[in-house]
Amino acid sequence: MLKLHNLSRVYQTDDVETMALNNVNIEIAQGEFVAIMGPSGCGKSTLLNTIGMLDTPSSGEYWFNGEDVSGYSEAQLAVIRKQSIGFIFQNFNLIDELTVAENIELALLYHDIPASERKQRVSTVMDKVGIAHRAKHMPSQLSGGQQQRVAVARAVVGDQKMILADEPTGNLDSGHGQEVMEMLQALNDEGTTIVMVTHSPAHADYAKRTINLFDGHVVTESVKAA
Amino acid sequence: MFKNYLITAWRNIIKNGVFSAINIFGLSIALMSCILIMLFVKEEMGFDKWLKDNDRLVRMHTAYTMPDRAPFLTVRSAGRMMEAIRDYAKNEIETGVRLIQWSLTVRKDDNAFDEAITLADGSFFDVFDLPFVHGSRATSFNQPMNLLVTEEFAKKYFGRTDVIGETLTVCCVGRNPPSDVRITGVLKDLPDETHLNINMLFYLQPALFPPNNNILDTWTSVNVYTYFKLNAGITPMQLQERIDYWMNNESPLVEMSKDLLGEQSNGMQVTDFARQPVMKVTDLHLNAKKHAGNIGDITPMGDQEMINTFTVVAFLVLMIACINFMNLSTAKASKRAKEVAMRKVLGASRLQVAIQFLSEAIVIVFVALLFAIAASELVLPIYNDILGKQLALRLFNEPDLLLSLIVVATVVGIGAGIYPAIYLSRFLPGHILKSSKSGESGNSAKLRSVLVVFQFTTSIVLVIATLVVYGQTLYSNSVDVGYQSDNKLVLNVRPARENLPSLKQELLNIPEITSVTFSSEAPTQDNENNNQFTLLGTGEDGKKVEPALLNYHNMDYGFFEAYKVQPIAGRLFDENYGSDQMTSVESDTIEPGQASVILNESALTKLGFSSAEEVIGRTLLLGEQQLNVIGVIPDIHFRSIKFGIRASAYMLNSDRFQVANLTVNSELLNSDKSAEIISKIEQVWKTNVPLQPINLQFLSEMMQAQYQDELTTAQLFLAFSVLAIIIACLGLYGLSAFTVERRTKEIGIRKVMGASVKDIVKLLIWQFSKPVALANIIAWPIAAYAMLTWLESFPYRIDQVWLIPICLSVGTLSLFIAWFTVGTNAAKVARKNPISSLRYE
Repeated sequence: MLKLHNLSRVYQTDDVETMALNNVNIEIAQGEFVAIMGPSGCGKSTLLNTIGMLDTPSSGEYWFNGEDVSGYSEAQLAVIRKQSIGFIFQNFNLIDELTVAENIELALLYHDIPASERKQRVSTVMDKVGIAHRAKHMPSQLSGGQQQRVAVARAVVGDQKMILADEPTGNLDSGHGQEVMEMLQALNDEGTTIVMVTHSPAHADYAKRTINLFDGHVVTESVKAA
Repeated sequence: MFKNYLITAWRNIIKNGVFSAINIFGLSIALMSCILIMLFVKEEMGFDKWLKDNDRLVRMHTAYTMPDRAPFLTVRSAGRMMEAIRDYAKNEIETGVRLIQWSLTVRKDDNAFDEAITLADGSFFDVFDLPFVHGSRATSFNQPMNLLVTEEFAKKYFGRTDVIGETLTVCCVGRNPPSDVRITGVLKDLPDETHLNINMLFYLQPALFPPNNNILDTWTSVNVYTYFKLNAGITPMQLQERIDYWMNNESPLVEMSKDLLGEQSNGMQVTDFARQPVMKVTDLHLNAKKHAGNIGDITPMGDQEMINTFTVVAFLVLMIACINFMNLSTAKASKRAKEVAMRKVLGASRLQVAIQFLSEAIVIVFVALLFAIAASELVLPIYNDILGKQLALRLFNEPDLLLSLIVVATVVGIGAGIYPAIYLSRFLPGHILKSSKSGESGNSAKLRSVLVVFQFTTSIVLVIATLVVYGQTLYSNSVDVGYQSDNKLVLNVRPARENLPSLKQELLNIPEITSVTFSSEAPTQDNENNNQFTLLGTGEDGKKVEPALLNYHNMDYGFFEAYKVQPIAGRLFDENYGSDQMTSVESDTIEPGQASVILNESALTKLGFSSAEEVIGRTLLLGEQQLNVIGVIPDIHFRSIKFGIRASAYMLNSDRFQVANLTVNSELLNSDKSAEIISKIEQVWKTNVPLQPINLQFLSEMMQAQYQDELTTAQLFLAFSVLAIIIACLGLYGLSAFTVERRTKEIGIRKVMGASVKDIVKLLIWQFSKPVALANIIAWPIAAYAMLTWLESFPYRIDQVWLIPICLSVGTLSLFIAWFTVGTNAAKVARKNPISSLRYE
């Protein structure tokens, strides 16, 4: 599904140059569940954002579904992003002024989908993540676990083939964390590719493969025995 | 403590660069508008305040409101009134003076100028205590024909001020030959802020005037200006009551009105149809117009309404700038919430916090004031140009101006700062520090929207008003006046009265001049000659027709032909008939004069005729003259269209001719040609009227000058409403910058969800379109109502329908401006990498 070849990302400030990613080579196939681990500042989030096309590499190639997207414009990337990739963030990133249903619908708003179909799909996905009874509530009225479920619903409502999760359980207690992980597991079982950054070895265990980063390098890759 | 406030205030100004710039810039522009308007208002309101004892000086006007006649109001009064009233109202009046204003030719050696001279009673200096440069009131103004001149005047003729004993030749007082007069004193130049027009002041010699003259020896002809100095402690109102009592009970007008009005006077008092209203001299500049139609004042007068309007405009512009401050301060309050919380944790009371924010506002306003003063100095020359004034900002010479600016700035600072101060000081420290919340409530956001709506409503009303004022001015200029005014020159021929025929012949010898025709006034020239015309016999319906008060002019053969006015019935004046010209009736003959008269359509209607054909051949009686109606012409706008059409009679009395109307056969706008023609005319003038200055004007320029007042108002309106819009837009820019900042996270999420830059810009633009659209909906009816009311005062006005396209285009424009303002901010943040905005927390 995607392949990173000699990919580097350098952050430039006034007088400091930070190498966030250094010659990273990773290949992820359709339907995989990959966890990315490593200490703080090792480049996990940069890697995830680059995969999610929210950040562009400084050098190297990024092949997505057979196309090298590393030279694509912002607008071209936006098209691929909205069709193929769903995002889940540690801090949920729901819009405070919109209701649960409206937050989920947001992911469909920028696709050409008629309003009636949008409503239909939103209500289906809310049932799926068990948040339907909270449809009219504002994010601030929900618990953290419920908010993250809304975020998951938003990530998959557009039938995205890949979900990128940046520490999805980082702000949740263990019970809610487990719920979210089980939800991701279920999505993976249905064929969705999942790439997840996490600090928790227990949650990394849900993945079929774990990539360890250190100072921008891939240090180890381990595949879970089936 | 205060130092700490100042430091925080200053650092906040620096830190929030854009917001501070918007605030300071907006407030500077608003304060500049305020300063400019204040200077103008101060000058206009300060007229004649420099006169000694000005609170005791009044001028007496005259108002005739006869039944069935148009009211006649003038700032002048009849010649015998002053002495009669002064002697009657001894308890109220200390003394009085009459002034007579004349235009004469003054000659020194080979130089000749037209001058406005003033003749005044010997009591002049008891009323107006003007300072002398040379001489004194005791030695220089103690007998008839003493002549005082001003410094400026002395310099013009002699190049110095010490001119006592020098002589000038004046021509001519009455029908007397030119005479030499000796200068007996020199007055200090009068300030600009006066309604008095004094360059040459003569000690009035009543003996110069024949008995029963209509200047000094009359109760009803209004040709002098009458001033009184009240006794200390007497109000103009008290004098007014005394004068009214005298008019009704003791004055000769009691008997005269019985004779004049006959039965109509039954049950009426004199003051029901003839009043002598008095007005304080300091009120004259702004209010004489309203009081007395401004008929007879020589210096251009001000207009209280214009003062009021611009004061309101200054206030509104300041409000708009204050709102910017309020909106931006409360909007960015979240950024200061932590500071407030910490100050409170450390023991600050709410009042102390409020005072801190208030002093911040005042600091900003004072910084803005400095910029405003500098900006005012820069634009003053342009401003003076438009206003035709000599305003100057002398802060240190005029402490009251400086003081009022400081007061205005403080009030503005408090006005702008009070709400943010109350709002910010309300934050509860525990709440803010614990939850890292902003403290922003829904209410303050709503209030901001309301204030933005107010700002735009105000700006839109101002812009619509500007466009209507401009439209009306353009329209006034373009209305068909009913005659051909192209290629006309107007020559004042009063000094040449003896040799009009030869002057005319020689002017006609200039090949470019196609016609020369004399008249009592040229188009656009003021004329308040009205007289009673009585129709002999019966009217159209067989009944007797009441005498009609008609405005009248005198013109020579060929006048209407030169202006291309065609009769709608009958004929124009024609030399071949030999019967058109009016000859003065000798008092010892019984034979009435015979002459012709031409009427306009309004006069026809006033005399009760519906058909122009019917009135031809009828006879009108004017005093001793019997006038044969020979023609009817359409209503032409002899004066500015703002005066409307008056019922008029046109006669041919060559004694009354004052100007020559010259028609030129080439395009006068061609400057080379016009200079050549003018020099030829000057040559003819010099040979025919030696030693008299020439007074030659383009009619087109005279016509334009009539609309100068309206044009000035329109230009000022335009300037101030553009400033208002700029300030409002600055506020919107700041607010949208803030909103964009606050919604950065949301925008990031939307972008991650696939929103394009366009989607984001659209979203934000829509948010700001709502208040602007609402402002339009509120502004339109307000502006429409105000401007329709304003237009009512014009007899000829632009069609009401015009308001619709004006409102719609201002609405569209306001939305475009708002979109542009918000769009630049929105596009900037929409282009940002969404990740940076999601990390923003």
